[in-house]
Amino acid sequence: MSHPHALASLEASFVDAFEAHAGLLAKNGTGPAEALPFAMAPALRRQALNRFRDLGVPSRKNEAWKYTNIPEALAAGFAVSPAAPPSDALPARWRDCLLPGLNAHVVALVNGRFSSAHSMIGDLPEGVAICGLETAATTCPDILRRHLGRYADWETESLTALNTAFARDGLFVYVPKGTVLEKPIYALHLSTTNERLFLQPRHLLVFEENAQARIVERYCGLEGEATFTNAVTEIFVGERAVVETYLVQDPGDEHSVVSTTQAYQEAASTFSTATITLDGKVVRNNLNVLPNAPHCETHLYGLFLPAGDTQVDNRTLVDHAKPDCVSNELYKGVLNDRASGVFNGKVFVRQDAQRINAFQENKTIVLNNEATMNAKPELEIYADDVKCSHGATTGQLDPEALFYLRSRGMSKRQAQGLLLHAFAGDILERISIEPLREMLDERVTRLFGG
Amino acid sequence: MPTTETEFLHEVAASEYKYGWETNVEADTIPKGLDEEVVRLISAKKEEPQWLLEWRLRAWRHWEKLAANPSEAYPRWPHLTYTEPDFRNITYYSSPSKKPRYESLDEVDPELLETFERLGIPLAEQEKLAGVAVDVVLDSVSVHTTFKEELAELGIIFCSFGDAVQEHPELVQKYMGSVVPYTDNFYAALNAAVFSDGSFCYIPKGVRCPMELSTYFRINQAGTGQFERTLIIAEEGSYVSYLEGCTAPMRDENQLHAAVVEIVAEANAEVKYSTIQNWYPGDNEGRGGVYNFVTKRGICKGDRAKISWTQLETGSAITWKYPSVILKGDGSVGEFYSVAFTKGQQQADTGTKMVHVGKNTKSTIISKGISGGRSNNSYRGLVKINKGAERARNFSQCDSMLLGDRCGAHTFPYIEIKNPSAQVEHEATTSKIGEDQLFYCFQRGIGEEAAIKLIVNGFCKEILAKLPMEFAVEAQKLLDIELEGSVG
Repeated sequence: MSHPHALASLEASFVDAFEAHAGLLAKNGTGPAEALPFAMAPALRRQALNRFRDLGVPSRKNEAWKYTNIPEALAAGFAVSPAAPPSDALPARWRDCLLPGLNAHVVALVNGRFSSAHSMIGDLPEGVAICGLETAATTCPDILRRHLGRYADWETESLTALNTAFARDGLFVYVPKGTVLEKPIYALHLSTTNERLFLQPRHLLVFEENAQARIVERYCGLEGEATFTNAVTEIFVGERAVVETYLVQDPGDEHSVVSTTQAYQEAASTFSTATITLDGKVVRNNLNVLPNAPHCETHLYGLFLPAGDTQVDNRTLVDHAKPDCVSNELYKGVLNDRASGVFNGKVFVRQDAQRINAFQENKTIVLNNEATMNAKPELEIYADDVKCSHGATTGQLDPEALFYLRSRGMSKRQAQGLLLHAFAGDILERISIEPLREMLDERVTRLFGG
Repeated sequence: MPTTETEFLHEVAASEYKYGWETNVEADTIPKGLDEEVVRLISAKKEEPQWLLEWRLRAWRHWEKLAANPSEAYPRWPHLTYTEPDFRNITYYSSPSKKPRYESLDEVDPELLETFERLGIPLAEQEKLAGVAVDVVLDSVSVHTTFKEELAELGIIFCSFGDAVQEHPELVQKYMGSVVPYTDNFYAALNAAVFSDGSFCYIPKGVRCPMELSTYFRINQAGTGQFERTLIIAEEGSYVSYLEGCTAPMRDENQLHAAVVEIVAEANAEVKYSTIQNWYPGDNEGRGGVYNFVTKRGICKGDRAKISWTQLETGSAITWKYPSVILKGDGSVGEFYSVAFTKGQQQADTGTKMVHVGKNTKSTIISKGISGGRSNNSYRGLVKINKGAERARNFSQCDSMLLGDRCGAHTFPYIEIKNPSAQVEHEATTSKIGEDQLFYCFQRGIGEEAAIKLIVNGFCKEILAKLPMEFAVEAQKLLDIELEGSVG
């Protein structure tokens, strides 16, 4: 494959960084090299790196990256350093990223590394593990061997391959069979750095049979230089497990994020996830769900409210491989200033996946002349006994509703704020964690007034 | 025997020259292959003016540049699997054969005749379509002349592209390539370099074309080449309805069809373009069949212009086709109505592009895809609202129906919006024939096949109704015939 010159040099910089840190990557920080789980073994890292080199940094010529220019976002240059130590000194402002009133197991990761100094995990039910991935390689090697690197597709996704080559630390959650985690997990991904850093955290969330848990992941940027995060999350949802995850992105307008999530569902499990993007420079979310057994239930929600020059690109895939499943997707966006938004959702129904009921909806409001929305809702269906539909609308606030409110004495801004609030409310009201909903509600109010 | 490569090349070059454009060659067909000489040869055979030759050559150079880098050149984004044709191994010019294939209808394949019969195609047309020698005083010829006189009286120009180049060069030069430039895509560049012939239609200001140009066209379209180029110009306030193709099966041996259609609609003009495509789809194993790679685009140049595409696609092994409208004039309207039916091993990736540029522009997209057998049927459409397109409005609806469990139905809509006052709606559904619908039919004594025909026809009704009346009836029958054997 041929790449333009600039791209080739971008790839070369990653390969060089890999060679420079090969020694470090080849061993586990805390344990013996033999204990390295499957996905962290040097041979696999090398294989993933080669795969990345073949695939290259995704350019806009790649249909899946048509609307988001990753080479441009990387052009500023970021140091690729898997060696960055976990920073213990954080600006005091980091506490603002905590949610007041939230009773949760708090895990903090600083620059992609687990930070015990800032985590408040508290008491856990028996068998449950919440820690850094690097630690887990020593404490739960069997789980890592069974799950890490098994779901995320590094064979065809170049950035996942890159992450697999470099992955060292990240969030690790394990909820064993039949365990119900009452309190939610609040995972805070913080970044603070003096140089422009390219971060590659790797998260693994494993929920066994009949387990139940809720997780909030939040990316917050603190003071310091810009970062580019290339995160990969693998989620295993066991039989009849019920899992709810939230991804809240407010990294700050200097920071770019590519977040790739691969969820794998076993029979009769329920997986719901909400992706909420408030700011950032370039934010790209790849959310893939594979309900790989009958009677699964999948819910994907999204809310993106970019302003300024923020670019948000949401790409989702529900890959119905097995029959008798239900999936439901709702993404809503409000675009202001010069922001751009992308929704590219795909429902894929394989040949033997009969009796699938899949619904997908995307609604966007464009507030400003300079803002751009690109929607690409796709259906790819190979089974005949299915009920699949999607709808996508893009427009502005209903002038009649605006008029109604204004005729009752509201200012234009108030009326607009009220309507936008109600629009976002469709997603917010599905958030079961009260303090999180309140925080987001307040953010929405601040954004739109009303 | 040539001893060195250079000598060999000289010999080849010299031998080609023997058939060059300087001499008046009798042969209908030029040798296989594609190079600058072929482009020059085609142009010379058609006695084209210098400017057209130069245009072809520019297109040729562009194509050559694209072809040099195949990984970038071919459109790879469609949901299609096929091997690209070997472009250097195709005959690029073959003038319509004057010799009739058969002496009378009795010699024609009875299966073909039966299809004609069932489609309700008049006898005279059957002969023409099957390639039977026609008597001089045949009805169709006189019809043809009457039409021509009537059209000429109104100032309407309707002729082959070749004739238009000779008789109305100023119009051709002004509009050709203005909607689909040769740089548009790989196949548009190829077409621009080697196009054989096509149709040209010009409707003067304020004239409403009194007949469906289809009627005329169907009688006269036999023998058009594989690289057609159509140009339709509708001046201010004019109206024309145009139909391309026909319901009769086309036993075309050409593997690759890369046509270009350009439509220009000035202020208040309306152009209605309908297509029925029923080319050879290949056998059930997917061998053979036509590759149909078409670039069709219209521009609503003036205010309140309207362009409407209606298509019924049932043939071809591979279809790659996106009839588009550029809504430049304020208040202009674009429409796209499509039924795509695939069975066997057919693959279709078809849809439309609506590019809103002017204020208060409106577009409607209604697409129905039906897939059976082991076929794959994709809708791919773009709705683009540019920054200046205040209060643009779009409604898209894509419904797919699956007739078996080994076929695929896909929807890939692209919606790109740069203006906040736009209102864009898209909805799509995929389903199979409802068991309750079938049950209802059975209950009333309607057999399975008839019931399915009934339901599928109902599914497509709103599109077929947009076709010119006589074709709507034939199209419906065509769908019935296509459905036979694909249900089970």
